Amino acid sequence: MKVTAVIPAYQEGARISKTVLAVLPYVDEIIVIDDGSEDETRLNAWREGAVVLRHGINRGQGAALRTGNEAALKRGAEIIVHIDADGQHDPISIPQLLIPIQQDTADVVLGSRFLGGEAVGIPWSRKALLNAARTFNAFAVGVPRSVTDPQSGFRAMTAKAVRMIDFKQDKMAHCSEILRLVTRSSLRWQEVPVCVHYSEESLKKGQKPWDAARIAWQLFLGAFVG
Amino acid sequence: MLIQIILIAAMAVALYVTWRRVMQNVIRPAEALGWSVVWVGAALVVLAPNITTRLAGVFGVGRGVDLILYASVPVLFMLVFKLFIQHEKMERKLTDFVRREALKGMEKHDERS
Repeated sequence: MKVTAVIPAYQEGARISKTVLAVLPYVDEIIVIDDGSEDETRLNAWREGAVVLRHGINRGQGAALRTGNEAALKRGAEIIVHIDADGQHDPISIPQLLIPIQQDTADVVLGSRFLGGEAVGIPWSRKALLNAARTFNAFAVGVPRSVTDPQSGFRAMTAKAVRMIDFKQDKMAHCSEILRLVTRSSLRWQEVPVCVHYSEESLKKGQKPWDAARIAWQLFLGAFVG
Repeated sequence: MLIQIILIAAMAVALYVTWRRVMQNVIRPAEALGWSVVWVGAALVVLAPNITTRLAGVFGVGRGVDLILYASVPVLFMLVFKLFIQHEKMERKLTDFVRREALKGMEKHDERS
């Protein structure tokens, strides 16, 4: 089965080469979506052998993932792996994400930081925020509480699942939207433990506590836009 | 009073422009009807301000002016929310356009290589 990694990247010129090189041994192809960066992201990803698509202007991580999904499907991907560009997701976990799909026991495999895998350097504030997000997802979005990681962007899906999961959120709310769509669909899904490494840099660029309100607002608006 | 004449003239112009836009197929008749109710209602209030005081009494509010202020809050809220939704729709159209261009770029690159 052709495995394609989709990596959305914005201003990741300094880190994208390392990420592409680390992911390459686990997949057949890497698609990097340069989401309107003004640095060397595109060039560095291309130099390391990734297929690079460029958004003319920054549209957000959700939008970049969707572009990557469409590109991967056009290029014949059978399994698509979503992974962050900042090196936070350890590619060593990719085989764990692929096994249930390869054994035909799941269509969507979600990586979780809270299933016994390592979440190295995760601050307590981030942990508390993710717990709150889990409750929010359950009550406001309708995601089952059995989903342990409400904001994991590390996942693998079959091509069929990618075609079915028609998420629309361009920005940070796409994680909750994908979870809602997956858990309410007829697709078989499961969570597996993944390794995530937090560094000062990734925390600086990652989500902030007040982003929770922004995500809630985006989901609320999205319900009216359709 | 001068202010009444000015306001009534403004409502009449608004009513005329609203229906002119219907003739030009800019807005739908149902939408124009809604706006016409607003303009005629406003003109009635200007001509007979006591109407609002009587209405305020029905709702248990002291003064007519207060009733207008209270009623305008949810109306403004709805209008702002509508703007947010339209903005979100525009954003999504923009994303679709950016995505199409990115995919076209990939296809062109693949054809060349």
